[in-house]
Amino acid sequence: MIRLRSVSKEYDQRAILRGLDLHVEAGEFVFLTGPSGAGKTTLLRLLYAAEKPTDGEVWVAGRRVDQLHRKRLPVLRRKVGVIFQDFKLLRRKTVLENITFVLRIHGVPPREAQRRAGQVLKRLGLQHRQEALPDALSGGEQQRVAIARALAYQPRLILADEPTGNLDADLASELLSLLCDINYQGATVVVATHDHTVLESIPARTVVLHQGEISYDGTWPP
Amino acid sequence: MIRHALAEGWLLLRQRGAIPAVLAFALAVPIALAGVGVTVIRWLGPVAGLESRATTVAVLLHPRLDEGARRGWIVARVAAQPAWSLAEVSAPELAARLGRWFPYLEDLVDGGDTSLPPLIEITTTAPESIAVLEVDPDVLAIGPRSSVESLLGRAARRLAWAVAAVSIVLLAAAVLLTAVWVHLELFRHADELTIMRLVGATEGTVRGPFLVAVALPAAAAGGLAMLGTNFAVSAFAGIVASLGLPPLVVPPSVLVAEGAAALGLPVAAALLTLARHAADEIGS
Repeated sequence: MIRLRSVSKEYDQRAILRGLDLHVEAGEFVFLTGPSGAGKTTLLRLLYAAEKPTDGEVWVAGRRVDQLHRKRLPVLRRKVGVIFQDFKLLRRKTVLENITFVLRIHGVPPREAQRRAGQVLKRLGLQHRQEALPDALSGGEQQRVAIARALAYQPRLILADEPTGNLDADLASELLSLLCDINYQGATVVVATHDHTVLESIPARTVVLHQGEISYDGTWPP
Repeated sequence: MIRHALAEGWLLLRQRGAIPAVLAFALAVPIALAGVGVTVIRWLGPVAGLESRATTVAVLLHPRLDEGARRGWIVARVAAQPAWSLAEVSAPELAARLGRWFPYLEDLVDGGDTSLPPLIEITTTAPESIAVLEVDPDVLAIGPRSSVESLLGRAARRLAWAVAAVSIVLLAAAVLLTAVWVHLELFRHADELTIMRLVGATEGTVRGPFLVAVALPAAAAGGLAMLGTNFAVSAFAGIVASLGLPPLVVPPSVLVAEGAAALGLPVAAALLTLARHAADEIGS
């Protein structure tokens, strides 16, 4: 599902990633961890083509993402559900509309989109907030809406950047079990986190980034 | 996604209230002005010989030449200057020709006043060649002048250029205003657009609302321009009818061109701005 070959990324001649090689099989659950500035978010951004590597190859779902023409980007991004650290919700749309909008982009008919959005909101305990605007929600609720949006169209790959950062322990645990369910149903899940309790909650492959390089790749704890 | 584009485009317009109205007006004025200009010039063309670039110079022959001598002089000039077109103009003919513009001349002739001189009119595309007549002893005076039609035609042509220049400047300003407005809206909605692209929205989905928000005032501008042109031309038409000249009406092709310009130019400006924004946002 994901293959990185000698991937490097520099910003203003400062190396963020240095010659990364990584292979994630379809259906895997992978934690990406490391200290702040290790390159976790940059790596995820390379995977959904928000960035291009300075050097190397990035392959996602059989496509070379770093050479993808911008007209083909939507096709890739429809296969990838991204849970952003800063939620990235549409401020002028309600919770329900934030989710139905994405479903409509994916060609789901309006009624079906409403039904599926309702289902996923119920699953995340947000059905009573579906008419609220994002700014009226707490950080945890916004995080759950962002998750609901990423899950609604059942993508083959889910990339989550610090998805539990704004959630309390119970909700974080619930979210992780949700991601496990989705993974169990066949989706590949990559979760970037610096929270060790999250890493310890699921016995999954863990890739540790340190100063832009993979310092460990295996089960947690090392 | 058409419904999304319409709904979001309409929302953009509602949020910005006066701006789309100003935009529609700014587009309509130069287009209507150009429409009036084209209509008048197209009407004036056949009426005033607008297309002709020839100059007509009047030559007054010496009164000692009788009719036979004048004819002989004309024949000799035609032989010497094949590029000239010579015509003898008698007082009644001249009055009849000019009467369209100066009706009192016909009254003069009808009243028995034949004091208008018999003239030779030489029409040529090289008026400087007439200079050879300055040393001709049979020539009493040389114009220089063009016929009233030519003068009117030349004046109308200059007016057409002036109207075209003013229209182009105003239209360019209006199109620039459209591009700037779209740019500002893109800046205002930058976060939203980034999110839309990140969740897999196509460029059509992202750009649709902006195109709708430009196309609606542009369509209104087209309608306003057509109404404005019709209104202005109908005001001229009254004057024209009172002079007994051919009727002045707006050709349908002018109205179609107005609609196309009103819709096409701002939409093209918006498309270019959106394309540039997309290139900046997501690279090539």
